[in-house]
Amino acid sequence: MGERIRARDWSDTPFGPPADWPQSLRSTLSTCLRSSIPTAIYWGEELRLLYNDAWAPIPGPRHPGALGAPAREIWPDIWEVLGPQLAHVRETREGLAVNEQMLPMQRYGAPEETYWDYSLTPIVGEDGLVVGILNQGQEVTNRVFQRRREQLLLDLDSMLRVADHAGKAMQQAVERLAPQLPAERVGYGVIDDAVETITVEACWTDGTLADVTGSHPVAIFGEALHRSLREGEVISVFDCAEDERITGEPGLRDRYRAMGLRSGLVVPLIRDGRYSAAMFAHSAEPHRWTDNQVALLQTVGERIWQAAARIRTEARLRESERHHRLIVETAQDIVFSTDLEQIVTACNPAAGAALCLPHEEIVGRAVVEFLDPADLDYAAGMLRQKIDDGGTTRYEITVISAGGERMRWEINSTLAYDLEGQVIGIHAIARDMTERHAFDQRQKLLINELNHRVKNTLALVQSLAMQSFKPGVDPDAAREIFQTRLGALAAAHDLLTREHWEGATLGELIAAATDNHIGDDGQIEATGPALRIAPRAAVSLAMALHELCTNAAKYGALSGAEGRISIAWQVEDGMLRLGWREQGGPEVSQPDSRGFGLGMIERALASDLAGEVVMDFDPAGLRCHIEAPLDAIAPETKS
Amino acid sequence: MSDPPVGRRVLIVEDESLIAMTAEDMLENVGWRPVGVATSCRSALAAVAKGGFDIAMIDINLRGEDSGPVADALAQAGIPFIFTTGYGKARVPERHREAGIIAKPYDARSLDAALQAAAR
Repeated sequence: MGERIRARDWSDTPFGPPADWPQSLRSTLSTCLRSSIPTAIYWGEELRLLYNDAWAPIPGPRHPGALGAPAREIWPDIWEVLGPQLAHVRETREGLAVNEQMLPMQRYGAPEETYWDYSLTPIVGEDGLVVGILNQGQEVTNRVFQRRREQLLLDLDSMLRVADHAGKAMQQAVERLAPQLPAERVGYGVIDDAVETITVEACWTDGTLADVTGSHPVAIFGEALHRSLREGEVISVFDCAEDERITGEPGLRDRYRAMGLRSGLVVPLIRDGRYSAAMFAHSAEPHRWTDNQVALLQTVGERIWQAAARIRTEARLRESERHHRLIVETAQDIVFSTDLEQIVTACNPAAGAALCLPHEEIVGRAVVEFLDPADLDYAAGMLRQKIDDGGTTRYEITVISAGGERMRWEINSTLAYDLEGQVIGIHAIARDMTERHAFDQRQKLLINELNHRVKNTLALVQSLAMQSFKPGVDPDAAREIFQTRLGALAAAHDLLTREHWEGATLGELIAAATDNHIGDDGQIEATGPALRIAPRAAVSLAMALHELCTNAAKYGALSGAEGRISIAWQVEDGMLRLGWREQGGPEVSQPDSRGFGLGMIERALASDLAGEVVMDFDPAGLRCHIEAPLDAIAPETKS
Repeated sequence: MSDPPVGRRVLIVEDESLIAMTAEDMLENVGWRPVGVATSCRSALAAVAKGGFDIAMIDINLRGEDSGPVADALAQAGIPFIFTTGYGKARVPERHREAGIIAKPYDARSLDAALQAAAR
């Protein structure tokens, strides 16, 4: 710069030939040129500029024309700030220093927001007047923007960290960013490759440009720009009306004009190698976008992406956790976890219900508190085996509830690991098999019992057959007798089946046994109190009543229309007394041989009822008296 | 039918009297002589104590009661016996597994064969 100054002919300028320059100018200039700090001298009435190499880039393309030119001509853009400051120094003869002074320079056509630290020092001549002003300083725009960006990111981080709604978080972020940019619209959009759209999820506008929240074709701003974005390239358009990437596409410029869009900055976010989202700033005026602004969009875009991803993941996790918790809490099965010392670390309400404790109180207790002492070694062995061999084990064990109830639990358990893969305990699902085992046991007994009954019934049928088909009995008559006996047996079984084989009332038994004979005009009358009879005794009684009816129909009261039978019973002193009395039939005589029917009544019935049966062949009508202790014939009362 | 009564006297232990009656008929038809029917453990034990029979046929289940004690008493008295059952072999007490067994419903011939085998 010294060269340039020396080379220049200053004689026709207000400076005059350098040889005539006052000492103050010379010595100041010498200091200036030697300084490595950007330094300029504003000299004389018009504050004409002299400066060193370090200062030369500050006015941009105005260098080298600025050398020797009046300050006001060089700095029309910032004169509003600089003019008064220079005037102040000249008037007061006092220097001033400013930090981070904003100077809206227009070095490259468009206004730029620039920041400067500088000092203005008066150069006082021999006459005591200010003859010039020394300026030293440097641009700190980057520092200011960087600090702003850091502050913005701090704000965003604290804001986004607590956000639980992705859409709201994005909108807040975009609104927080907007004041930092010379833009009328700022937004964030997500790319959907499948349908080739960009969905603007957050958009801020000052009203000059339209809100573009929603989905748009991915190449809405032109194919060329879209291709660049897909390559991960930042799009910075100074003036849409003149940018070749826009003017080269037919109709695109008009579309921009219709949207009122004049310049824009778009930063693509590449995730997993794919163009996934974009952060954009749009303006209705031409703008020279700076690296700072690019960096700002980039970082904010990334923060939004991360926050949205985190919020979505957390929502999914919450949902999945809620889902699993619901399953565990409503499960009928018992679910619990323990540590390696077999202390319960978690369990569900079903565990509480089974162990008769609020399930929160089970946590912290040792598993052994609930185990049958006899099973302790077995349980410890199963745990050891699981830790050694891994995998899932299934075993049954006796558990004792807080209420003392013993249960058989089938336990399925698997090892639990921490994040480092260390075994920290077990997760187990248990099912109370007690009822199932009891049921199996009952069923086994029932099947045995059924088997026994079937065999016994077959033996009974065999007896009926043998007694019916006796030698000397007419086969047709025998068949008839056999069938009616079988029918009586079946009727008694039907009755008992209806009562689940828990017994039948005497009234019902009599009605069933005499069904074929009661008839037309109510020849049979039965009276007595309600009394329940056990199945065995019921079958015997039914068969005996059947034989009595058959005998009456053949030889007794039921052989004629005039005959009547009254069946009456009482219960006294723990005894049942039942009387069968026939009247109005043919005269009765003592039979010479008792057939199976009457024999059965006397012998079988007496034996089955553990009582007495007396037959009285009164000529006026057959009488039969049955006496049996209630405890032999009534169903066992269940306790 | 020409065998003398002694050695052919049978005690029937059976709670179902119709079946007992049929058994009596069957026994008579194949030359045995039924001499009594016991319908419970208690009456059967009384009959064993009293004696007067040479062989017994015992229903395994007597009104829900196990007839094992009756078999024990018979074994102790040295009186041969067979089991009659609707349950199959499973319900025969372990200590009497050697005893003869006949499944209900049985016929006269198999009853006879089982008694003959037990009497030997």
